[in-house]
Amino acid sequence: MNLRPIKNILLASLFAVVTLHAAAVEPHEMLKSAVDEVLAIAYRSDPTTVRLSERIRPTLNKYFNFEAITRRAIGPGWRQFTAEQQKRATALFSDVVIRNYADRFEAGDRPGITYSPAVIPDSKRPSLRELATTIDYSGKKYSVVYRVEQSGDNWRIYDVIIEGVSMIANWRAQLDPIYQKGGAPAVIKSLEQTLSLPFSG
Amino acid sequence: MTPSLRTFITGAVFSFATVWSAQAQTMSVTPNPADSDEPDEYASVTVSDPLEPMNRAVFKFNNGLYDYVLRPVGKGYVRVTPKPVRKGITNFFNNLRFPIRFVNSALQGKFQRAGLETGKFAVNTVAGIGGLIRVSDAVPALAAISEEDTGQTFGVWRVGKGPYLVLPFFGPSTVRDTTGMVGDHFLNPLNWNLKHNIDWYDWKVSTGVTVVNGVNSLPGAIAAYDALRKDALDPYVAVRSAYIQYREAAIQK
Repeated sequence: MNLRPIKNILLASLFAVVTLHAAAVEPHEMLKSAVDEVLAIAYRSDPTTVRLSERIRPTLNKYFNFEAITRRAIGPGWRQFTAEQQKRATALFSDVVIRNYADRFEAGDRPGITYSPAVIPDSKRPSLRELATTIDYSGKKYSVVYRVEQSGDNWRIYDVIIEGVSMIANWRAQLDPIYQKGGAPAVIKSLEQTLSLPFSG
Repeated sequence: MTPSLRTFITGAVFSFATVWSAQAQTMSVTPNPADSDEPDEYASVTVSDPLEPMNRAVFKFNNGLYDYVLRPVGKGYVRVTPKPVRKGITNFFNNLRFPIRFVNSALQGKFQRAGLETGKFAVNTVAGIGGLIRVSDAVPALAAISEEDTGQTFGVWRVGKGPYLVLPFFGPSTVRDTTGMVGDHFLNPLNWNLKHNIDWYDWKVSTGVTVVNGVNSLPGAIAAYDALRKDALDPYVAVRSAYIQYREAAIQK
């Protein structure tokens, strides 16, 4: 029996699988790169006058899906936004999230992070994963869960849940009443107002 | 073309087709923003707040109290008290609250957790000099036990959280958690009528203990509260949402 054709098919399949694996970064690899990059920027030793929020912006833009974050933070009302309003809201809300994220870093010891394997939170939505981490900071342990979503070939973060408190749920609670009262213009206006306030990050 | 080359090409085309279709499938499950059928995983976290006008007034009062009185006190305390001392005091009072965690773990049927709490209390009290040093952290099983309290027990017993309440000084709560605080009060050894049982434990010592316990916990509590208020569109709603989510998560643990 000539086994060569079977061998060739197997070989070709293996080749294709290897190519696929090389192209797709696993969610936990993406998260680890994101966290490592942010910590390297936040805890760099040489002094700089550039705000932390500005320094981490490129990294967050790379690993966070701000459109998905804004869409979820606004909720069902998002569909009533015009394309222009969606773009504007996403741009403003990205600034709010980056600023808020930068504010969470405190000077001092670099936190230690333990990663748990990714889980599929909802079998009906295979493009979502949840990755639990434990942050060890100043002798205390904090639970931080990242929600990530596949977008094209990449996995992107769309929510951070600190000690059970979801960033998106928290923003939704604030944005929804504003949307209910004044629609998209009111949401955009309130985001602009928040960004015009002074901040420390 | 040799047969083997043809087989290789067929195999490769077949494999790529499989991979392509798998990727196309993954692409198709990526939610489309315009898709109205997309499940909304953020629709469920709610709390009734019929007392909102009063709560907002208390919230404002508390913020003034935190900003102008408690924050300066906390800052001064951090400046004059070395970190190991603060940590020791935190550990001591936390160890003392063992009955709250033990009884509530048991009331929720989490007997293994109650056992671990007992082990942690014993280790820290004996080896950690009365609870000042948390030696239990070196034992993996004892390092991260979820802490139970009476409010969480009511939650596990499916008592509804009731309306949201902002308590003067204490901050965010619900009717259920405020009732839970009463249970915690009676389970805290500091409130076990020590004045009648220990000769030297008079009102001065009792007040001193309460003040040290309170002031020592200020810096951490204020930092957590500030993180929620900062950059919020509506700080009152941000704190309310965070509190409700935090408590729900604690009940689930």
